[in-house]
Amino acid sequence: MTLPKNIADRVWLVMLAATLTTWALGSSGATGTWAVLVMLGLACLKGVLVILDFMELRHAPLLWRILLLGWLTLIAALIVLFYWIGST
Amino acid sequence: MDTTINPPPATTDAEPHLHGDLAIWFFILAELMAFGVFFIAYAVTRAYNVEAFNAAQAGLDRNIGALNTILLITGSWGVVRSVQAARADRLVPAVRWMGVGLVCGLAFLVAKIFEYRAKFAAGLSMDTDTFHMFYFSLTFFHFMHVVLGVCILGILLLKLRRGGYGSHDVHGLETGAAYWHMVDLAWIVLFPLVYVMH
Amino acid sequence: MKYTSQAVAKPYFIGAMGLFVAQVLFGLIMGLQYVIGDFLFPHIPFNVARMVHTNALIVWLLMGFMGSAYYLVPEEAETELHSPKLALILFWVFLIAAALTVIGYLAVPYATLARITGNDLLPTMGREFLEQPTITKIGIVIVALGFLYNLSMTFLKGRKTAINTVLMIGLWGLAIFFLFSFYNPHNLVKDKFYWWWVVHLWVEGVWELILGAILAFVLIKVTGVDREVIEKWLYVIITLALVSGMVGTGHHYFWIGAPEFWQWWGSVFSALEPVPFFAMTLFAFNMVNRRRREHPNRAATLWALGTGVMAFLGAGVWGFLHTLAPVNFYTHGTQITAAHGHMAFYGAYVMVVITMISYSMPLMRGRAANSNKAQVVEMWAFWLMTVAMVFITLFLTAAGILQVWLQRVSDTPLGFMATQDQISLFYWMREVAGVVFLIGVVTYLVSFFIKGEERAA
Repeated sequence: MTLPKNIADRVWLVMLAATLTTWALGSSGATGTWAVLVMLGLACLKGVLVILDFMELRHAPLLWRILLLGWLTLIAALIVLFYWIGST
Repeated sequence: MDTTINPPPATTDAEPHLHGDLAIWFFILAELMAFGVFFIAYAVTRAYNVEAFNAAQAGLDRNIGALNTILLITGSWGVVRSVQAARADRLVPAVRWMGVGLVCGLAFLVAKIFEYRAKFAAGLSMDTDTFHMFYFSLTFFHFMHVVLGVCILGILLLKLRRGGYGSHDVHGLETGAAYWHMVDLAWIVLFPLVYVMH
Repeated sequence: MKYTSQAVAKPYFIGAMGLFVAQVLFGLIMGLQYVIGDFLFPHIPFNVARMVHTNALIVWLLMGFMGSAYYLVPEEAETELHSPKLALILFWVFLIAAALTVIGYLAVPYATLARITGNDLLPTMGREFLEQPTITKIGIVIVALGFLYNLSMTFLKGRKTAINTVLMIGLWGLAIFFLFSFYNPHNLVKDKFYWWWVVHLWVEGVWELILGAILAFVLIKVTGVDREVIEKWLYVIITLALVSGMVGTGHHYFWIGAPEFWQWWGSVFSALEPVPFFAMTLFAFNMVNRRRREHPNRAATLWALGTGVMAFLGAGVWGFLHTLAPVNFYTHGTQITAAHGHMAFYGAYVMVVITMISYSMPLMRGRAANSNKAQVVEMWAFWLMTVAMVFITLFLTAAGILQVWLQRVSDTPLGFMATQDQISLFYWMREVAGVVFLIGVVTYLVSFFIKGEERAA
């Protein structure tokens, strides 16, 4: 299979696949630590792609990349933390 | 003239810079903070009401949530392609791709309205329980952002049709696009968090 | 001063300063009544002193805003004011109405005042900060309409900049939200709900637009930084202020009978309210650091910087301190609220009006800046007032924390009055800081009368 030339097209395909995976996991009733980590990981992957390629921060000043990616990392880390607290 | 769309024209790669007005980026940061605080509040509250949250979450329509996600990422993709086309002065595709973004945004709103109608018909509201308070608050807060985003895309589309953007000027286009991607980004976290993860 | 009609701002500023003195004096009276309950009783009861203290504040800030707008809009629009005569007439109407209202408060019992001013026909009296008799409220609306007509005509015929556009939106918003003071439903929940549409949506909504516009105007003038840069900051600040402030109204809906989701909405959005104030501080310091000229009026620059810092501390930090619903559950309506109120009003609105007065008064008196001697005295006034306000805030915060502890958290809670006795030491210290504040106000007024070499305008 040939990959699309345009990076935006590739990003879109990856995000579609990630969304369908999350949806399939949810529909199959996946629960627990691994399901949560995978789904959040996929969300982070999509978030990083949106930030770097759609918002075009890949070539932006470092500070702005840190701010946006930092937001995503912080949110994801805190969600994991509180899901973990809730599961114990 | 060079019609390849990737990589973008050399001028934009010359030095690192933000695409879109600096003001919109401050605004995006503030918006993301608002969403972020709400997400964390959800996670914290859930940690102390795990069973109630899991039970209530099971009642949500995951399919429509996933459809919403697909609509938003497709819409964002359309907007990206539109900006690329405008930079290359290919105005007809730029308008079409912006149309993709706009239609996806509108479809998102329609799907959400159907989702809300089903919830209201089942007698659910913000006062039902804490989970539904979060569900309605978060999705409605996001809904309002989509409404604003759709308006922005509409304005961009009109200006594109008039030839207002092109290689000479994409500043306003990039500014509006950045806002739309923020709306997408917020939903990318919101969907697994509220609809799926448990 | 570029246009002669800008001079109509002068009487407004003088009137505002007069009411400022009255406000501080009544503040001192009620501060003393906290510890000596029958001080001046029965001539000036506590509730009357409080009413004069708060209403005088609001009226003089409105006067200050009006004066600032009369000065700012013609200069930004690059045209003379539509009607200077109307502006002067409205000033006297406003001043006389304010004076009559205060005399009414002091001369007769409140219930009598309500009866003789025909409150029965359209009841609007008896609510905190909106105690004015209905006829005074109608007077305020008439003055505001005339004022808005005058400025809108000026705005429409002249240049439209970000600064005067934001200011006009803020002033129109101010007038529109005031109309909710005429809506007085019998249902107490609804009553409180819409009461906040005046009180909160003023100070944490449209007034912030006025604040931002005035600050941006003065910063352009004293720093010479490009208008484009300053306008961009202004847009960011007002957007953040409106997004956080509008929904932030919810932090008043925690315990009044409004739906429970307001505890979340109010907490989340008001937690963001410090952000625009922080941006404003960054903005002020950034612009002064990037200044392209040394403006001779250093006092005005000091006030502008002070506005940023004190607004962030008073409105931002002290607001955040008790805005989250679980915290507010304990602190609601204690001296912590009073601490926040004092520093926020001083830091945001008192200081921005004084910034404008400091910048424009010398120009209206025919010079670019006051003499060095006068400016030194003015800077003393700045530090006296500001430091005194910091101490008032700290003492009230201490009183508030102790009050929450003794009255609400402790295993053996005390009653309200018994708690008040326990915290009287802080009230005394607050009163001392209040006297220092008054000295600062007097010093500020004295600085207007100090001569010395002046620079031409």
